[in-house]
Amino acid sequence: MTTSVVRPARSARVSTLVRVPAFWVVLTLLAAGGLRMAQMTGHFFAAYPKATTLSILLFALLAVPFWLFVSELDFLEREPAELLVVAFAWGGLVATTVSIPGGVALENLMAKLGSPQLAAGWGAALAGPTVEEIAKTLGVVAVVLIARAQVNSVLDGVVYGAMVGLGFQIAEDIVFAVGAVALAGQGDQVQPVIATFLLRGFLAGIWSHTLFGALAGAGIGYLVVSRERGRAHRAGVAALAVLGAWAFHVLWNSPLLIDGLGNGALALLGVLLIKGLPPLLLILLLVRHFQDREADYYVERLARLDDPSLITPGELAVLGSSSRRAAARRLPGAATAVRRLQRAQARLAVELSRADAESIATAEAAVRDQREALRRLGHAEAVAGPVSWRHRASTIATTAVAIAVLWVALSALGGA
Amino acid sequence: MARLTNLLGALGVAATLAGLAFGLPAIDRSLPAERAIRSDEPYLIGAGVTVVPPAGAALDVTGTRPADDDGTVLFRLGPVKYAIVVRPFDGDLGAAAERLRKRIVDTTGYQVTGAQLEVSTAGGLAGLQGGYTAPGRGGRYAVFVADGHTIEVTISGNDLDLGRTLPQIEASTRTLRQSGGQR
Repeated sequence: MTTSVVRPARSARVSTLVRVPAFWVVLTLLAAGGLRMAQMTGHFFAAYPKATTLSILLFALLAVPFWLFVSELDFLEREPAELLVVAFAWGGLVATTVSIPGGVALENLMAKLGSPQLAAGWGAALAGPTVEEIAKTLGVVAVVLIARAQVNSVLDGVVYGAMVGLGFQIAEDIVFAVGAVALAGQGDQVQPVIATFLLRGFLAGIWSHTLFGALAGAGIGYLVVSRERGRAHRAGVAALAVLGAWAFHVLWNSPLLIDGLGNGALALLGVLLIKGLPPLLLILLLVRHFQDREADYYVERLARLDDPSLITPGELAVLGSSSRRAAARRLPGAATAVRRLQRAQARLAVELSRADAESIATAEAAVRDQREALRRLGHAEAVAGPVSWRHRASTIATTAVAIAVLWVALSALGGA
Repeated sequence: MARLTNLLGALGVAATLAGLAFGLPAIDRSLPAERAIRSDEPYLIGAGVTVVPPAGAALDVTGTRPADDDGTVLFRLGPVKYAIVVRPFDGDLGAAAERLRKRIVDTTGYQVTGAQLEVSTAGGLAGLQGGYTAPGRGGRYAVFVADGHTIEVTISGNDLDLGRTLPQIEASTRTLRQSGGQR
């Protein structure tokens, strides 16, 4: 195991950020972006108060599962909430504010230097991704500048990139939803908001900016972490990742298959899959790869302790796998206790990598506390129990509901 | 030294953002948007809709986006803007006119004025037209519905310029034609 998987660093308290010059520059940019977005939202509220309120509410709710999913990606070495907020705010306030005039200008330049036909056909596909991917990637760079110690694995880059993308996606969706209301020309109506929510939230949400941002973020993470590689190599990988994010974004926005594969829900699903599945699969594979490498690194540090009161051999096998961690939380009546123990063990692993004796002692005490809490519930260790019929039924019901919701959305928008 | 590097990095990020937010628009503004256009042949707006541009008009490529199922075109006659937007629409003429009027009054400071009048084009399209006012400028609008599309015409400028150019523009509007076969 090389140290390039994880670059251990001293724990950086967020209160120390104020001493970093970049923090104040980033704060100023966030304030400027926030002011601009507040002005825009104010105009929206003045013209369409009901529709604007509903769109903010719906897309804010949509952000919650995405936020939880993204912040759980790096279970073992979790990112500070403050930095996740900075990343999300960068996407929602700074990247959007910059992308609106920049994208319009670039599309105009395509019309001026090429033709209106070129701009009409490929303007959204080329201008938008070019400006937006640069503006979003700078969000991950900003996080690196203000808290370099917190970006110590490629997975961290993925998480911050995805958070920037999520912020951008939510803000853009709200702007599009209110834009649809204005275009409909029927006053303060909510139907265009709901249609936009179904289309951009449910159907396009999975493979949208969160995904592109994650890929670009992986590149920045690699650039920062993989110190054993030459600078040119790391810069090349980072550029390739940003270029990949741009290319997937271009594919998604491109007029290719604009007429679809025919009519109906299945045809719409086909187009979504053709355009969206490649980046989704690539990112999932990348995340899985880096999760496994990071897990191996941290589990190895815990294994060296050889102390079953801190982590048992069974728990070592569980901690490195998200599916096995989830399975262990199904111990009867012990979901919360298992989760807390797993978090405490992950925290201990991170402190072991940082080799700070005082923090290690504190983390060990926390693990023992959680171990005791689990024992009081009648469980000696946090490993998976047998799968209950209730869990199977819940999985089948959830899958059926998800398919039904997807089908309703596709039917409503695909003309089935 | 580390702090200086950090500050320079952050300023580099800010400068790149400024390049996107202000630099690109500045380059855009520095290049002319208007193109000469012939006023003796129909111009394809989109979705098979054509119009013969007014004499002396220039095509503004920043407001022109032709496509198969919709399209926009923006002509300029000096300071007067003459825009035509074609979009898919499944309602009748009254609904199309109401939708356009609503969009006009939703813009802060804009008010429609007077009653709507019926208009028609040389190609037989029936439409409605009216007027609106805005701070420092006035305007006319017209709307037509043909073959599942709405054709929205808006003309804006100050009263003096409008009075001078409206006859040519209205003559141009009467040349609007929808031909499904061109799509």
